Amino acid sequence: MSPMSERTKIDARGAYCPGPLMELIAGLKLINVGDEIEVLSSDKGSANDIPEWVKKVHHEMVGITQQDGYWSIVVRKAK
Amino acid sequence: MASNPLFILLCSDQHERLQMAAMIASVAAVSDRPVQVFVSMNALVLFGKDTPADKRYQGGAFSKLLKEKHAPDALKLFDQGKELGDLKMWACSMALDIQGWEIGHLVEGLFDGALGLTKFLSDAENGQFITL
Repeated sequence: MSPMSERTKIDARGAYCPGPLMELIAGLKLINVGDEIEVLSSDKGSANDIPEWVKKVHHEMVGITQQDGYWSIVVRKAK
Repeated sequence: MASNPLFILLCSDQHERLQMAAMIASVAAVSDRPVQVFVSMNALVLFGKDTPADKRYQGGAFSKLLKEKHAPDALKLFDQGKELGDLKMWACSMALDIQGWEIGHLVEGLFDGALGLTKFLSDAENGQFITL
């Protein structure tokens, strides 16, 4: 995370596709360019789909890590 | 740059098909792809504002699973697609007439208006067309 950016956490564990993606997109509307959102998702499909969406609409994937029964997906708002 | 527009013709009142339509429409719309959904035949009744919730989502074995597992609500997905992307929803004017409904009989905030099939088909000529 860059020194000036902020990170918001969205806990979407338990939500099925495309719930976590929709929560991420709604969250991105509320933050500034350069800030980040960490989505927690237990949905395996979303762990694949969110990076694909980020690539398609030209935001930035910061990282994705598998935790105990869920994924942590960090996205930076790029535009 | 926006992608090839997507046109969805929704005719079925089956929950699984409604869910798939809502998933495709919402995800495409938030992925910079213009989407138009044309609702006709039995599907129109699902969008009645007075249709009871327990009558709205009827289907087969997978419908039961969708409800048991609390999958995202189909109408809410359409709403999110409209809020977060370029998604337009049209009620088939013929189906409204047959049903004896006006646009005001449908759930508020989802539909952009009533539309004839000819106009929808004409608009869809340069996009991808899906029927559910």
